[in-house]
Amino acid sequence: MAEKTSLAVPAAPPEVIRLQEDVPEASFWRRARHSLLRTRWPILALLILSLVVFLAIFGPQIAPKDPNRITLAARLKPPFERNAQGEMVYILGTDSLGRDVLSRLIYGARISLSVGIVAVGIGGTLGTLLGLTAGYFGGRVDDVIMRLADIQLAFPFILLAIMVLVVLGAGVLNLVLVLGIGQWVTYARIARGETMAQREKEYIEAARSIGASHARIMFRGILPNILAPLIVIASFNVASVILAEASLSFLGLGVPPTVPTWGGMLAESRDQLLANRWWLAVFPGLAIMLTVLSLNILGDWLRDFLDPRLRGTV
Amino acid sequence: MSRLRYAATLLILVALIVGALPSSPAKAQAPGPDEKTLVIAQSQDVQSLDPPQVGSRTDDNIVSHMFATLYEIDDFGNIVPFLAKDYRISEDGTEVTFVLNEGLTCHDGEPLTAEDVVYTFKRAADPANGFTGNTPGFVFASVAYKDARVDSELEATIVLERYQSIALGLLSEVHIHCKDSYEKMSLEEAQSNPIGSGPYKFVEWVKDDYLLMEKWDEFTLRDPYFDRIVWRVIPEASTRTAELIAGNVDVITNVPPDQHAAVNASGNASVVPVEGLRRIYVGFNFTDNFQSECADAIKKTEVRVALQYAVDVPTICEALLGVPCERATGLVNKPNDHPDLEPYPYDPAKAEELLDAAGYPRKGDGVRFECTLMAGRNRYLNDVNVVQTICQYLDDIGVKTNCQLMDFRAEFIPLLVNQQAGELFFVGSGGGNWNALYEMADFASENSNPNYGRWSNPEWFNRWRSLSNIRDPQEERKVVLEMLEVFYNDPPWILLYMQPDFYGVSNRLDWQPRRDERVITFNAKLK
Repeated sequence: MAEKTSLAVPAAPPEVIRLQEDVPEASFWRRARHSLLRTRWPILALLILSLVVFLAIFGPQIAPKDPNRITLAARLKPPFERNAQGEMVYILGTDSLGRDVLSRLIYGARISLSVGIVAVGIGGTLGTLLGLTAGYFGGRVDDVIMRLADIQLAFPFILLAIMVLVVLGAGVLNLVLVLGIGQWVTYARIARGETMAQREKEYIEAARSIGASHARIMFRGILPNILAPLIVIASFNVASVILAEASLSFLGLGVPPTVPTWGGMLAESRDQLLANRWWLAVFPGLAIMLTVLSLNILGDWLRDFLDPRLRGTV
Repeated sequence: MSRLRYAATLLILVALIVGALPSSPAKAQAPGPDEKTLVIAQSQDVQSLDPPQVGSRTDDNIVSHMFATLYEIDDFGNIVPFLAKDYRISEDGTEVTFVLNEGLTCHDGEPLTAEDVVYTFKRAADPANGFTGNTPGFVFASVAYKDARVDSELEATIVLERYQSIALGLLSEVHIHCKDSYEKMSLEEAQSNPIGSGPYKFVEWVKDDYLLMEKWDEFTLRDPYFDRIVWRVIPEASTRTAELIAGNVDVITNVPPDQHAAVNASGNASVVPVEGLRRIYVGFNFTDNFQSECADAIKKTEVRVALQYAVDVPTICEALLGVPCERATGLVNKPNDHPDLEPYPYDPAKAEELLDAAGYPRKGDGVRFECTLMAGRNRYLNDVNVVQTICQYLDDIGVKTNCQLMDFRAEFIPLLVNQQAGELFFVGSGGGNWNALYEMADFASENSNPNYGRWSNPEWFNRWRSLSNIRDPQEERKVVLEMLEVFYNDPPWILLYMQPDFYGVSNRLDWQPRRDERVITFNAKLK
């Protein structure tokens, strides 16, 4: 019991407490809007991400061509080239099989985003549940879960993913599972730490004293109070998962070559770089860079915004 | 508690000491080219260095430099003496006796005699060894190998079940090794410790990186220029090209057409095109390993004929292989092919008409039936793109094709040899231009290794068996032409093309690649 007490989070500095007491609490969304309007980069990041999400959702409606349609007669057309009638048929050019690069980029956004979000969803949910359990019950439960986390951390993630994908085979589902399961440790460690801090607080003591069940205390009492840091981590994590998907697809272990993904497009561009077909690498590379950068900028903002000690500084 | 702390401290100390030690000896680096070192880059690493286990061209290229054969097929398709200086065939054609050169030895100094030749054949044929390479899987099946015996110190006889007109050429593919050295080794040891009989001696093999061999001065039958050959493994085509341009390798295989200009403009190397002999095709799987509408459909001749019309082979050649080509009419290269057969034209409307007539009309969703087409990646020229294009062509006529591309060695080959590589599979089979029967031997029996789909047309196999009774070349040719017609009319493959080969060759090198994809460098030298 003494050990549990020693793990409690130190009290917040007095000025923060004062800030929380003195300033009337504005609504969450209003504060968010004010915070965003005071800074520029998160707005730009949000716009870029909104565009990517829009493309991902409405890809089939807005893609100018079928992304998998092979037209050998139109292979390796450079971007912005006009045909004899003056029409720009392939705005961002075509690849070595005559497939429309723009359409593949749009469809690639679907795969990259959905892999990122679903994998983080799997990893986040699993990790949060395990961290919550470990932090709440402590003792042997905590030991077992944290040792499992240590074992997984001992493996470099990409190496682990390569091993699993070689055994299970490439494919979107396997990729999402591997990337998801690879992320749980981060969430588990944060959830555990936050839960340990929360479980010693008076409102939890009060809940216990009125006979609330463990599940009710964990999911209705503690969980809502530890979500903020987990959401921040998730926003960064989506970016790293998108990069991991691109890396694995580049290595030929991610999504099959018949499915358009940004990483896969980069991999296919290798054969054409020596022939100066720059557009095949530049456009998917830009898409990955802008999406990951936007997620990171937004994650930074979210971290500062949700941290009560930094409230008012962003 | 103090004990626990003590144990933990000790554990940490041990971990630190172990961690500080080098985990493995520093990895050797592949030697680069120099005046006496030739560097060749291939897409695949060697699987086994034990001759009877060698089954792929990339492995054979390496093993052929370390192990000699009794006779060999030269650059022009002639069968010429090598370890043997002469041969004779018995009256009934079932015994081939080879007379060895004198004074031959293996790389460990063991004299190479007829006993070693016989041991080589018997070892490869022994089912207990479980070899699956070219010698037991293709050569023995094709020549109907029966036994081998020692006639004298320098004379060995290979006994066949029946006469086979191409026996000498086929037996020229068997790599000879010495009895004593191999009897000392387990099968596992023999995989990576070759004790050869040819012009080069094994030095080291760093898996997935390179293999180094050195000239063996005691070999007197050939005198190659280079003292060392380094065989590097570079799976990715553009990396091979970059290494060639940078001058880090002398020879690369399968240069993608889109990179020819970059190589030729580099000033360090140039692309040497060769009219290759490898037959590239999409095979049909006739086994019952797949229970699907597609599996049933492709058992019908009319469906397989219809699918021929769906694929535009000349366009594939021009766009993806960089050269015009004529579509194959069978499994035999020119000039031994059937001169009167016309290549199936690209006519998707006719393909659809034939499929309708065969009882496979388009359904409500426009699909007639769904097939899976499996293929390996990065083994053949531009294979990933060719396979995706073929899938597109089949989709276009309503045969929805699930295109599955996978690692060639680790995934595709095990599936292929077990008839599990989909209802359709994309593959290439090495060819030869010295005799039609050599190429037709892919279908030497219903269960021979290269008959991956287990085609079993009796009109073909009855004729194949009848060839053993024919001595007259003209009569043999007549049967060959009949068989090629059977193949054309009841195709076990979607006929595609004979693969053009593009070698990237360093400008410092004087070397001419062969048509049969064999990278043999005995005659290579610096300019």
